[in-house]
Amino acid sequence: MSDRHLSTQFDSELNALSSRVMEMGGLAEAQIRQASYALANFNEEAAARVMQDEHRVNMMELEIDRELSSVIARRQPAARDLRLLMAISKVTANLERVGDEAERVARMVQAIIAKGGALRPLPAGELRVAAELASGQLRQALDAFARLDTEAALAILKADDALDREFDGFVRKLITYMMEDPRTISAGLDLLFVAKAIERIGDHATNIAEFIIYVVKGADVRHSTMEDIESTVKSRG
Amino acid sequence: MSSPTQAKLAVRNLDFYYGKYHALKNINLEIAEKKVTAFIGPSGCGKSTLLRTFNRMYQLYPDQRAEGEIAYEGENLLTSKKDVALIRARIGMVFQKPTPFPMSIHDNIAFGVRLFENLGAQEMEERVEWALQKAALWEEVKGKLHQSGASLSGGQQQRLCIARGIAIRPDVLLLDEPCSALDPISTGKIEELITELKKDYTVVMVTHNMQQAARVSDYTAYMYLGQLIEVGETEQIFFKPRHRETEDYITGRFG
Amino acid sequence: MNVAQRKYRARKRVNRLALALSLAAMAFGVFWLVWILVETVRLGFGGLAWATLSQMTPPPNEAGGLLNAIWGSVLMVALATFVGTPIGIMAGVYLAEYDPKGWLGATTRFVNDILLSAPSIVIGLFVYAVVVARFKHFSGWAGGIALALIVIPIVIRTTENMLLLVPAGLREAAYALGAPKWKVISGITLRAARAGVVTGVLLAVARIAGETAPLLFTALNNQFFTSDLDQPMASLPVTIFKFALSPYGNWQQLAWAGVFLITLAVLGLNILARVLTRSKT
Repeated sequence: MSDRHLSTQFDSELNALSSRVMEMGGLAEAQIRQASYALANFNEEAAARVMQDEHRVNMMELEIDRELSSVIARRQPAARDLRLLMAISKVTANLERVGDEAERVARMVQAIIAKGGALRPLPAGELRVAAELASGQLRQALDAFARLDTEAALAILKADDALDREFDGFVRKLITYMMEDPRTISAGLDLLFVAKAIERIGDHATNIAEFIIYVVKGADVRHSTMEDIESTVKSRG
Repeated sequence: MSSPTQAKLAVRNLDFYYGKYHALKNINLEIAEKKVTAFIGPSGCGKSTLLRTFNRMYQLYPDQRAEGEIAYEGENLLTSKKDVALIRARIGMVFQKPTPFPMSIHDNIAFGVRLFENLGAQEMEERVEWALQKAALWEEVKGKLHQSGASLSGGQQQRLCIARGIAIRPDVLLLDEPCSALDPISTGKIEELITELKKDYTVVMVTHNMQQAARVSDYTAYMYLGQLIEVGETEQIFFKPRHRETEDYITGRFG
Repeated sequence: MNVAQRKYRARKRVNRLALALSLAAMAFGVFWLVWILVETVRLGFGGLAWATLSQMTPPPNEAGGLLNAIWGSVLMVALATFVGTPIGIMAGVYLAEYDPKGWLGATTRFVNDILLSAPSIVIGLFVYAVVVARFKHFSGWAGGIALALIVIPIVIRTTENMLLLVPAGLREAAYALGAPKWKVISGITLRAARAGVVTGVLLAVARIAGETAPLLFTALNNQFFTSDLDQPMASLPVTIFKFALSPYGNWQQLAWAGVFLITLAVLGLNILARVLTRSKT
């Protein structure tokens, strides 16, 4: 997204696309924050807002994809430009899923609120930490994508473990709570889905990081081992 | 470049001069057998010059000379004592501008064949038909073989020139911007033809249209200012070229 | 807008003036040409009869024709053409295809240009000194040779020019098929330039059909009909020269008939040359 093409039109089209992606990312991030707040405070309003924003996120995915097709059709991009456009397509898909996950969280919160206060003993507050972690990962991934920073991408991929461990820990805790008091099982399962949604948000962030490496290095590192990814990032070519 | 397929032509340390002007600098490159290799690059980069060394076309002009080696069938093309006409019968060329000879369509094709073979009238008819079929022109001209070659449209004339080049059954076919004087439909037909031709011939093609190189060729070589910058499989060149200059050219970051 | 209109009208006036002047110049030139043709037809056609074409040149004040003169012209022009054309074409091929920049080519071209504009009487005198004086008699051969020396430079020049017009791409395409040089020239280049080369030959023929001076000292003239080139031969231009200057009426009439015939022949050849070049494009 740095040096310029002979066609300034092409440059401005690419810049416009990048801005839209960042905008969409910002929106997705905001959704997570709202959902997290709703979760921590069982706030009906916050949950409702998340649901409304969901529509905007979906619309943005459609617009960006339309714009993408137009650029590809008209410009026949090659090499790095081609990889960038492929990556943008995947990133927007991932961001749209993030929106879906945030919406799922909000819907769960609404369901829990409807069911009444049987939630109190469950460690819902911990989920807020996990949500912050996931949101942070997403922000870092988007940031790194804007700069096409492969080192940052590598860091995000390595840090994904932390979120997974949080998730496992939370599930174990939830199970103990549910075993102790079977009345909490229903609400507990709802919370499990929320936790799962947050974990998936983290996965989407790592996907975005993988695409940064794809654009810059031309290597598709999805489903590669961490060693392979590291050597790809460190390599010169 | 290491390719599992055999190298039909191997260029080593090739330098070329127009008088004092050093047009090609230390070219090293292999042309794979029965594949299409495309030369791309901005105007004046030397791609046509390089192509014309393969069939010693430069010899027609006294102030042009080539130094180095082009290995073909075990000997150096540039210094071979063999009659250059024999070399050109094995390594044929089709030019940018369609140039039908001032004679009938049949005779256009027969001219080249008669140079090296003694075919009876029936055999000649068959060879002419075969060549025109291969060039995807037979259906359009089969009823008017005795009309002048100049009476055909531009795209048809170019296919006639290709038929002419194939009729002598060369080993290698050199195409110097074969489609640049043609409309898109004729271009499309000839591109189809090239992908068919590589089953039987080694094809080397110069084109200033990158997308054409991407569509048609197996290997692409990028040249700039008389030097070979990068050569490799077309997919790799267009997906992730190794050199910055190649990528700049391909993505239109400079012309 | 006013300035633009004024300028436009001024340009229009200049345009009309220039057009009028060119038309006037053309009319002036055409007028003389038409007058010549009209006079030729008027004076010559009247003297044209079957007898003109079938009988020999008569003594003064007797009836007769121009047969021996016509036949003599035909023989010597044919001789000159058959000798001069191959030499001219081959030299033209050499200049265009083999040695465009070498010293031999440059010299040849230079000498050829001189010959091209040499006065035909000089050529006639040259052939007189070399052939007639040597063999001690005038002959049709000498006449034919003198005419050939006029044909050759013309054919060389036109052949070279026509060959140079053939695009390099056509030659390269032939070489690329593995054709040797002579085959490229004979099979492709000459073939492509065919119409132009033939035109050059036709124009050369038209030129020598009317040449008088070279024949004066070489073939001289002959009262009688002969096909023997060893003898002096009659020719139309020389006969016209002799008859026109005479005081005899019938001779003068025959002279005009001869003029008419030559004009017809030259006109016919030029038209033929025109037709040939047009059909190629």
